[in-house]
Amino acid sequence: MKTPVLFALLLILPAALFGEETLDQRVREIAHQLRCPTCQAMSVKESEAGLATNMKMKIREMLREGKSEKEILAFFVQRYGEWILRSPKKEGINLLLWFSPGILIALAALGLFFRLKGKNAHTHTTDLPPLSAQEKAEINQALKEIEP
Amino acid sequence: MNRKVIALLLGGFSLLLLATFFYGLFYASDPQSIPSALIGKEAKNFTLTTFEGQTIELKQFRGKPVVLNFWASWCVACKAEAHIMEAAHQKYTPRGAVFIGIAFNDKREDSLAFIRRYGKTYLLGPDNEVGDISLNYGITAAPETFFIDEQGIIVHKVLGAVTPEVIRDFLEERLP
Repeated sequence: MKTPVLFALLLILPAALFGEETLDQRVREIAHQLRCPTCQAMSVKESEAGLATNMKMKIREMLREGKSEKEILAFFVQRYGEWILRSPKKEGINLLLWFSPGILIALAALGLFFRLKGKNAHTHTTDLPPLSAQEKAEINQALKEIEP
Repeated sequence: MNRKVIALLLGGFSLLLLATFFYGLFYASDPQSIPSALIGKEAKNFTLTTFEGQTIELKQFRGKPVVLNFWASWCVACKAEAHIMEAAHQKYTPRGAVFIGIAFNDKREDSLAFIRRYGKTYLLGPDNEVGDISLNYGITAAPETFFIDEQGIIVHKVLGAVTPEVIRDFLEERLP
C-alpha cells in the first residue's frame, strides 16, 4: 500500500516543485521589466517595497490565470502609463531614443574621418606663398657659402 | 558631406541625447511628476467591503461626484489630510458627493485605530491582499486621491495630501 503512494509522490513532487520554480522565474522575468513605482531606479523584481510586492503577487496571479507576458505588461502600462516599463517600446518617437546613440557614433566617426582626411591633404599640398626675390637671393647666398 | 553640416548634426544629436538623459534623470524617473495614465478614462469599478461590513460598488454611485482616496495608517501625509477629508465629507456628502477611502497595504487593526483616532466616518474599507483596487488605479504611493465625475470619468488625481481647495474646486461646480 505504501509503495504506490510513495511512487506517486515521487512522480508528483518534482513536477510540482519545478512547476513552481518556473512560475517564480517567470514572475522575476516580468518583474524585472517593470519599474518600481515607489522607488527610484529600481525594478519591481529588485524592490521589497509594499507596492512592488503587490505587483509581484499580481503578476503571479495573472500567470496562474494563463495570461501571457505581453498581456501582463499591457495591464500595468494601461494603469501606470508607459513609464512603468524599464525599456521603452521600440516604436514611434521611442525609436529616436533607441537609435540616437548609434547615429551619434556614426556622425562622430564621419566627422573624424573628414577631419583626418583634411589634415592629410593639408600635409601634402604646397599652397605656401611663393618666395620673394629677396628670400631667393638670401637662399642662393647661403648655398654658395655652404658649397666648397 | 560638408564638414560644417556634420558638426551641426553631431552637436544637435549630442544636445538631444543630453536632454533625454536629464529628462530621464530628473523628470521621467519621478512618479510624482508623471501625469496619471487614467485621467480622462472611465474609473474602474470595484467592490469594497467597508470596515463596518457594508458592501459597496463604485458603479452604484454613478450620477454623483466621487472623491476616492487611497490611504494607510503608516503614511505620514495621510495623517495630514485625515481631517481635511473628514471635514469635506461632512460638508459635501449631504449635498450629494461620495467619499470613499481605501486602506492600502495596511493591517486591519492599524487601519481601525487610525479611523478612530482621526474620527473618519465616510465609506472606508481595506483593499485585498494583492491590492487589486490600488493596482487598478495605478497607485504609486499613499495617499493618492482620484476625483471621479458624475459620468464615472476620472477628471483629476492628487498625489500626496489633498487640500481643501482641490476638493472644493471639484465639488462646488458639480453640486447644487
